[in-house]
Amino acid sequence: MSHIEIEHGCARSVEGRDALMPLPCRVLAVSQETSDVKALRITSLQGTRPFDAKPGQTAMLSIIPSGECMFCVSSQGEDYLEFTVKKVGFVTEQLHALRPGDAVGLRGPYGNWFPYEGLRGKDLLFIGGGIGMAPLRSLITYLFDCRSEYGAIDLVYSGSTPDDLVFCREIQEDWPRIDGVTVHLSVYRESPGWDGEVAFTAPFLERLGYAPDGRIAVLCGGPSLFRTCLASLEKLGFAPEDIITTLEMRMKCGIGKCGRCNIGSHYICLDGPVFSIAELHKIPGALH
Amino acid sequence: MILRHSSLEGLLSTLSTGARVYVPAKADGVTKFVLYSSSVRPDFSITNTTMPPKDLLFPQTQHMYRYGTDAEGVPYVEPVHDADDVIVFGMRPCDVRSIECMDDVFLTKGFVDVSYQAKRERLLMVAMACTAPAPTCFCNSMGLCPTAAPLADILLRPAGATDASGDTAYLVEAQSEKGQAALAQWESYKATDTSDADFEPVSAAVSCSLKVSMVGVKDKLEAMFDHPIWEQLSKKCITCGTCTFVCPTCHCFDISQENRLSEGTRFRCWDSCMFTAYTEMAGGHNPRASKSARVRQRFMHKLCFFEQRYGKTLCVGCGRCVEKCPVALDITCLIDQIGAADVAY
Repeated sequence: MSHIEIEHGCARSVEGRDALMPLPCRVLAVSQETSDVKALRITSLQGTRPFDAKPGQTAMLSIIPSGECMFCVSSQGEDYLEFTVKKVGFVTEQLHALRPGDAVGLRGPYGNWFPYEGLRGKDLLFIGGGIGMAPLRSLITYLFDCRSEYGAIDLVYSGSTPDDLVFCREIQEDWPRIDGVTVHLSVYRESPGWDGEVAFTAPFLERLGYAPDGRIAVLCGGPSLFRTCLASLEKLGFAPEDIITTLEMRMKCGIGKCGRCNIGSHYICLDGPVFSIAELHKIPGALH
Repeated sequence: MILRHSSLEGLLSTLSTGARVYVPAKADGVTKFVLYSSSVRPDFSITNTTMPPKDLLFPQTQHMYRYGTDAEGVPYVEPVHDADDVIVFGMRPCDVRSIECMDDVFLTKGFVDVSYQAKRERLLMVAMACTAPAPTCFCNSMGLCPTAAPLADILLRPAGATDASGDTAYLVEAQSEKGQAALAQWESYKATDTSDADFEPVSAAVSCSLKVSMVGVKDKLEAMFDHPIWEQLSKKCITCGTCTFVCPTCHCFDISQENRLSEGTRFRCWDSCMFTAYTEMAGGHNPRASKSARVRQRFMHKLCFFEQRYGKTLCVGCGRCVEKCPVALDITCLIDQIGAADVAY
């Protein structure tokens, strides 16, 4: 059986633009997704989409005077790129204080993308935890836009509490109504108002018992979710070639020069962030 | 062309009318490439300057752009351009080779670093062959020759004394079109009473006494990521980052900003993979939290990963880190230890 090909090192600078200079942009809309996660829609000063990004690609979003952070483009529309930002530090705290109309800087797109061409016709199993939904969402919303070209879409998504499930209303109410889409949610501990599953993601995934059957798994979550769910997927019989993930590391430049996201002979910002587990097995330290 | 040492000062002063000329000299307590002026005494006897010339292409701190909000409240971002014609006069072959490594990083793989490229295009490299490698030099072991610098635009090779007064002669050769064109300015300083044929330039036999074997090191390292050697090698490292700052090929940088009222400037500055915060992520996760992981990263990157990616070792054998490391974590000893290590761990 042929495996999905993921392109690496395919990102290119936009003709005539200094890849390290942000475009001045504005906030179009802000939505509070959980108590510490907001989705920010960013538009150009002309009110257009700042640039095109493929599902899984990243961009450097900044409060220009305060600093830049790398985020995955979590979805996009005619006149905006959307970023899902968890408040964890100095810059993200300020990003959370933004209101529509406020100025921001944006540069990108960077990195490779999910192999959306190669996935055509395939059944897909998405496994995510908490803010790990942000990159998964870029691919899922893309698949929804051309739904008939892809097979079944199953999502196993968890958070510590119901408040850690990002885009919860949309995922709970809208996504299951889409043809061929199944959503399984869990939280890690009993919470008031939650009558759904209470389980860690890996045992939940194993209990659901997904068999590979030509399915491709797309995994994104924090280090412990990643480690445990990867073991579960392997236990369920998924080949490392059929498990795709997107990596994170501290980044400054986004174009494979500044050095910090180096793993083996690769730079996550430029050659990644999307890799198959089979590829990561060959990169020293990538699965540590 | 033969150039006498006694004509150098006149040549440098002529060259500095049309370009910023940098020469090896002592300034601020260290030897480095200093902007030439009549008050600067170039010292071509320095084998390797303490600070490499990389800052001429990749400044230690470099403004990238200004930003702010105009009177109508519209945000703006303005690039800061500062590329000038620069001549580096007296670069050693190892430092010339380091620019080849920097070119790979900043000019290839889909993204060109605009600022580096602008400076690189306006750079003329005048190399000076080595006659007396320092005890810490080991460029031969890294595949270089102390008397050849293929990427340099112009190469000067000392060729002995021209007369009884001991005035050294240099054999001057252009090695690129740019170098050929630049030599026009040198014509009036050449020795007219003698010809190239009268001199035997410093020979390729000049060789470093410090030697190390790189044979099989990259392949061996590929299997040594989890080897206990890193724990042992890193014990004495104090993660001061000196090795990365004096290294001509280390190119990691940080991006930060400084603000004044409603205006600000974003800049980049040298960073070091030896520092804990270098890879520390928002939220606290750090993929290289331990000292051994950082020491491993530095040496794996130099001796294995860079070669996998760009086909060359990210070490030119200049010996600066060997000389300056406060705890004598000597890369040549490390390479020997890797060579001797048992990979069946």
